[in-house]
Amino acid sequence: MSILEVKGLRKSFGTVKAVEEISFSVEAGEVFTIIGPNGAGKTTTLEMIEGLQTPDSGTVTIDGLTWAKNSDQIKYRIGVQPQSSAMFELLTVEENLDLFASFYPRSKQASEVLEMINLTNHRGKRVKSLSGGQRQRLAIGLAMISDPQIIFLDEPTTGLDPQARRNIWDIVLKLKELGKTTILTTHYMEEAEKLSDRVCIVDQGRIVSLDTPAALIDRLTKEREVRLHFQDGENAAIDTEEVAKEMSTVVRTAREGQALKLWSIQPEETLYGVFGFTKERGYRVEQVSIREMSLEDVFIAFTGKEWRD
Amino acid sequence: MSNGKQLRKLFGAQMKMMFREKQVWFWSLFFPIILMVLFMVIFGGGGSGGEFKASIAVVKSNANATSDMLENQLRQVTVFEWKSEQPVDKEKADTWIKDEDVDAVIILPASEDIKLLELVVNKENEQSTTTQAIRGILDQFVQQTNYAVAGVEPTFKVEMQSVSNGSEDLSYVDFLLTGMIALSVAQGGLFGMVDMVEMRRKGLLKRLKMTPVKMGLFGIGGMMVRFVLGVIQIVFLTVIGVFGFGANLHLDVSTLVVAFFIGTLAFNALGYLFSSFSKSIEAYMGMANIASFLMMFLSGIFFPTEGFPDWLQPVSHVLPLTYFVNGMRDGMVYGSGIATGEFWEGIAILGAWGIVAFGIGLLIYRKGKAEVR
Repeated sequence: MSILEVKGLRKSFGTVKAVEEISFSVEAGEVFTIIGPNGAGKTTTLEMIEGLQTPDSGTVTIDGLTWAKNSDQIKYRIGVQPQSSAMFELLTVEENLDLFASFYPRSKQASEVLEMINLTNHRGKRVKSLSGGQRQRLAIGLAMISDPQIIFLDEPTTGLDPQARRNIWDIVLKLKELGKTTILTTHYMEEAEKLSDRVCIVDQGRIVSLDTPAALIDRLTKEREVRLHFQDGENAAIDTEEVAKEMSTVVRTAREGQALKLWSIQPEETLYGVFGFTKERGYRVEQVSIREMSLEDVFIAFTGKEWRD
Repeated sequence: MSNGKQLRKLFGAQMKMMFREKQVWFWSLFFPIILMVLFMVIFGGGGSGGEFKASIAVVKSNANATSDMLENQLRQVTVFEWKSEQPVDKEKADTWIKDEDVDAVIILPASEDIKLLELVVNKENEQSTTTQAIRGILDQFVQQTNYAVAGVEPTFKVEMQSVSNGSEDLSYVDFLLTGMIALSVAQGGLFGMVDMVEMRRKGLLKRLKMTPVKMGLFGIGGMMVRFVLGVIQIVFLTVIGVFGFGANLHLDVSTLVVAFFIGTLAFNALGYLFSSFSKSIEAYMGMANIASFLMMFLSGIFFPTEGFPDWLQPVSHVLPLTYFVNGMRDGMVYGSGIATGEFWEGIAILGAWGIVAFGIGLLIYRKGKAEVR
């Protein structure tokens, strides 16, 4: 049974249709990521699921419960890290965890959560004096203090440096190990690709695409970009380009000095032919790479919009 | 988790937050204390407890029986402090007067025939209360001496007594002390709800709504913290007023408790109302400042409202601080109140302010919730 079921959600603010039609379901233990440009309806969708907004129509079912009938029961089952990461600034890390723990009938020990979010050494620090990454980890800690089944992380890594971002990824992966369900939103494709079991692309209040990251990339196109860099001057690149253009697997080519780019529907086949030719001529190839298609490409392909960071 | 335990946690957390906020210490304690000390020093007659002293010099240019007799009599007047133990000459006394080293110079008659006592003061101080007082004392002194010389007993005497409803020794210091206490407790409520604005702006209210915490308990915990702060304010200001400025209190504990309890609730309700429609801290502080300044001067904190022009009187009869300060004075200096209808009428008006402010605030918060993005 799905732990979270969303059916036909709709929400308008005045004349603005924030969410037009969103339906999906999430299985227990999944990391489910929602991505989309600003104003796509991500936050509104999340807030409707979290019970902060009432949908104009449609239903949200969490573990078989609905907000209208079982709001407290749902609150015991979910943990939320909102974008604003609001907490009590004048209390210490541990006091914040303790206070939030007192809101729930059952909760984890603060020490256990501190361990998981790697803030044990900063437990006595006031929130005011924490770094951005530490704050964000505490916000996630507060979301999991009640040992919830579903955790909502709304852009947990926005504005963090790469190291701090990695620390957050570790926490998400630990949560997955514990069998928790995570609903994630992010600006970073790399993150969605790395962490998610399934990715849901939202644009203009609708789901544009929903699948595993690999399947999304697969579905997009078979073309792959192959890059070669020659050591012996431009001529080698020019000659190789001539040959490559004749190959049936190559769709198009581009050259810039000694660097050559080929778009191939079968990269292995193409490279086999290319290397046969260069070996025969004695051209030395310095670098070879096949670029991975990323979720960013998927995003651009599906929404027709540039990805902004 | 039980409500009791949750309330204890919420109270404990909010206590910690209050004590860690330096702003609270400044505005709730230091500011009222400084204000009170300033007012007491300027209008309360300093720390001497109101006793009058004047420094004088006596000039006796030519010793004779009359001047000797007057000199001896003058030494009996305790409010005069002699700049020099012995009489001095005229030049020296003149210098002292010019430099304002003494308040007045008294010149004794140069011969037995002259029945004139001369009083010399600095021209600048001619109209000062000290000069008036010295003049009065000297008049009294001369009269007494005349009676003594003539050997008659005065028939009529005037004895002045100031009377207030309650304690006989109600002084301005008592009046000001209780006014300052009421003002600082009221300001605690008016300014104290700034947290709500901050919590809403930062999304903390929203965050709490995602947890099963009972917001009512959160509010009760916050009010308990305000009561603790109010008690601290009362104790600090009272100690300074009584030991620093000799204020006299006639406590009536039940009156004080009722006035304090209802007043604290009412002014926090006003703060809550301000917070409900303030989008920023600046907006909230502006509102609280206007309310606080208006009431500070129109509610008889520093001066009795009886001295106000007639058209202004109705205004002070509407403001909640008027009734709060009256209630607190009933409980702290008049030592009465709980038995009088007037007291309960004031408490009722104060309570009505609180209920209306809280009701409107709650409505605005409820309505605002629907409009949250």
